[in-house]
Amino acid sequence: MLKKLVYALAGVSLLACSSSDDPYQQSSAALGEQVLYRAHQQWQASNQQLVNSAKEFCQGEQNLAQTRDDFLQAQHAWAALQPLLIGPLNEGNRTWQVQFWPDKKNLVARQVKQFLKANPEPTLADLQRGSVVVQGLSAYEYLVFDPEIDLADAAQKQRYCPLLQQVAVHQQQLADDVVSQWQGQDGMLAQLTDFPNQRYAEPLEALTAILQAQVISLDGLKKKLGTPLGRSDKNIAQPYQAQSWRSQASLSNLSAEIESALALWQGVDTHSLRSLLAAEHADLVKQIDAAYLQAQQELAAFKQPLTALLADEQQRQALFTLYDSFDRLHRLHEKEVARALGVQLGFNAHDGD
Amino acid sequence: MMQRRTFLAASLAVLAGTAVLGWRLWPQGRQPLLLSARDNAAGEHFAVAYSLSGEQLFATQVTERCHDVCMHPFLPLAVFVGRRPSIESYLIDLQTGQLLQTFSTPSNRHFQGHAVFDARGERLYSTENDTDQPGRGVIGVWQLDATQRLQRATELSSHGVGPHQLLWLPDGETLVVANGGIRTESGSREELNLDAMEPSLVLMNTTGECLSKEELADPMNSIRHLAVASDGTVIAVQQYQGGMQERIDLLAVKRPGQAFAVFPVAEQQRSSMQQYAASVAIHAELRLVAMTAPRGGRVFIWDLDSAELRLDAPFRDCAGVAASEQGFVVTTGVGRCRAYDCRAATIRMQPLNLPAGLWDNHALLV
Repeated sequence: MLKKLVYALAGVSLLACSSSDDPYQQSSAALGEQVLYRAHQQWQASNQQLVNSAKEFCQGEQNLAQTRDDFLQAQHAWAALQPLLIGPLNEGNRTWQVQFWPDKKNLVARQVKQFLKANPEPTLADLQRGSVVVQGLSAYEYLVFDPEIDLADAAQKQRYCPLLQQVAVHQQQLADDVVSQWQGQDGMLAQLTDFPNQRYAEPLEALTAILQAQVISLDGLKKKLGTPLGRSDKNIAQPYQAQSWRSQASLSNLSAEIESALALWQGVDTHSLRSLLAAEHADLVKQIDAAYLQAQQELAAFKQPLTALLADEQQRQALFTLYDSFDRLHRLHEKEVARALGVQLGFNAHDGD
Repeated sequence: MMQRRTFLAASLAVLAGTAVLGWRLWPQGRQPLLLSARDNAAGEHFAVAYSLSGEQLFATQVTERCHDVCMHPFLPLAVFVGRRPSIESYLIDLQTGQLLQTFSTPSNRHFQGHAVFDARGERLYSTENDTDQPGRGVIGVWQLDATQRLQRATELSSHGVGPHQLLWLPDGETLVVANGGIRTESGSREELNLDAMEPSLVLMNTTGECLSKEELADPMNSIRHLAVASDGTVIAVQQYQGGMQERIDLLAVKRPGQAFAVFPVAEQQRSSMQQYAASVAIHAELRLVAMTAPRGGRVFIWDLDSAELRLDAPFRDCAGVAASEQGFVVTTGVGRCRAYDCRAATIRMQPLNLPAGLWDNHALLV
C-alpha cells in the first residue's frame, strides 16, 4: 500500500518564501486559481456537455450538426488547456487519453475499427482496457466527422453510438478525476498557493513549471502548424497530418492555445509572468506583447480551414509567416523570459540519456 | 624480476596506505558528499561535489558534459565519465577538485557515460561504442598507474549493442552490463536501428567471458541503467523507443540464480513514466529501490523484495538518485534537490539547500 508522503518542513529560507507579499507566490496563486483552474473547470464542463450530447444524439433527440458543435466545444476547451498542462492532467498518460496526435499512421481509424470488431457493444470497462488511441477526442472526432462514417445512416449510427457514448463518459470521468485533484487541502491549487509543499519547494519552482508548460505549448504550435505545412518534408503539404483535420478545427485549436498562453502572460490584476518582468525588463515585455498581438492578428486573418489554405500558395506563404510568429513567441519565452526569471526550464526530461 | 602488474599493485598499496592515513574527504560528523555532473546557466560543464547541506567542495569545469561518476575504492579519486558521444572523461582529485587527467578513448571509440573501478583499485572499466562498427559494444579497460594516471590497457566485448551502464556484482569479479541495443555513429546520438534494436542484460567476467545474456520481451525497450543489491539482485530500468500508446514495463529484475524478468509495477505508476526511466538506486539496508522518471516528473520507491509501492511523488525533471543513510537523495534539472527519509513507514521528503537545477542524470553519495 502506498504510504502517504509527508512533507517535512524545509529550512528557514524556504519557509520565508510562503509570505503573502512575495510576488512570485502571489503570481503563482493568482494564475493557479484564475487561469489554470478555471480552464480545467471549463474543460470539465465541456465534457459533461459531451456526455449529454452523445446520449441525446444516440437517442434521436439531437441532430448530427449539434453533436458536432458539442464536440468542437470540448475540443476547444482541450486546446485551451495545452499551455496550462501542469499537475494531474500532465501526469500518467492522461493527455494521451484525451487526444492522440501526431497520428502518422492513421492509428485512430485503424484502432477504432479493430476495437469495434473485438467489442461490438463496448462497455466503459472495455474502452478503459483498450488502447488510449480509441479513448479520446481523436476517436470521437473520427466517429462524427470522418467521411468513411455516415452517422445519418441508422445502421451506422447503431453501430458507432455505443463507442461514441463510452468515449464521452470516459472523458467526463477523466476530467472529473483531474479537477478533483486540483481541489482540497493537498490539491494542485493549494500546491500553487502555499509553499513549500510536496510538489514545489518554493513559488519560483511553481512559476517555472507554469512557464515550462507555456513554452512546451508554444513549441507545440510550431509542430502543429509545421507538420501539415511539410516543413520537415521538403515543404510538401501534409494536410492529413494536421491536428483535428477531420473536424477542420486545426486553426481554432491554435487560436485557443494562443489565447491561453496570453492569459498566462497577462495574468490577472497585477499578478502574471508579465508583471514579474515589467519593472526590469520593459523592452522584453514590449516585444512579447507585440509578438502575441501579431500572432493573433495573423490567425484571425485566415477565413478558411487549414486544409483549404494549404492548397493555396499565397495562403501557404501566410501560414509560413504565422509559423515564424509562433517561433518568435516560443523563443522569447524559452530563452528570454526564462533568463529574466533566472530559471532553468528543462534539462534531463528533454535531453536525457 | 617484479612483474609489471605486481609492481602496480604494490604502488597502489603504498598509495592506499597513504590514503588511509592521510585522506579524509570530509571531516567526520559532516554530511556525505554529493558528486555529480552539473551545468551552469551558460551551458558550461562542471564536475561538482557538494555537502548535502549545500557547501561546495569543488566545481571543476570540464570540456564535455559528463554523465555518471565512479569513485576509486580507496583513493580520493573519481572519474566523471563523458556523456555519449564524448570521447573524454575526467579523473578528479576529490580533496581539491583538481582535474588530474583528461583521458580519451581511442580514435574509433567513444564513451557511453558509465564506468566502474575494480575493487583493487587497479583498473577502470568503461562502456564504449565501436564507431567502426556502429553500436558494437566495447568495455574499455584502463590501468591506473603509480602516478595516478589512467592508461588504456585493453578492451573487451560487451556482448551486445550500445552498452550503457555497467556495475559489479557483489563478488567483485562479475560485471553486469546494460546493452541498450541502439546503434549510433561517431559523434552522434541519432538512433540508427529503431526497427532492429538488440537490448540485452549481460553478465561477464573480467577476462571478457560472457556468463549470461538475457533479453526483454520488446526489442524497443532499451535497457539503460542498473542498480545492484548486496545479495546480487540486479534492477534494470528501461527507456522505450516506441509509441506512447504501448503498455511497456520499464523495470526488470534479475534475482540471484533467476531469469531476468519484469519487476511488477502497477499501471498507474507505469503509465506515469512516459516510457522513460532515468536513474535507479538500491538502498542495501532498507531493501528499497528508487527510480526517477523525469519525463513523467515522478520519483518512485518500491520494496525491492515484495515490489510494494512505497512512494509515487511529483518531482519535475528528477534526475540522479543515490542511496543515503536515511533513504535516498534525488537531484533535478530544474529545481531544488530532495532527500527522502525512508526509515519509517511514512516516507518524509525534505528539499535540500543545494544549488537549484542543472544537475545531470546521475548522482553519487560518498
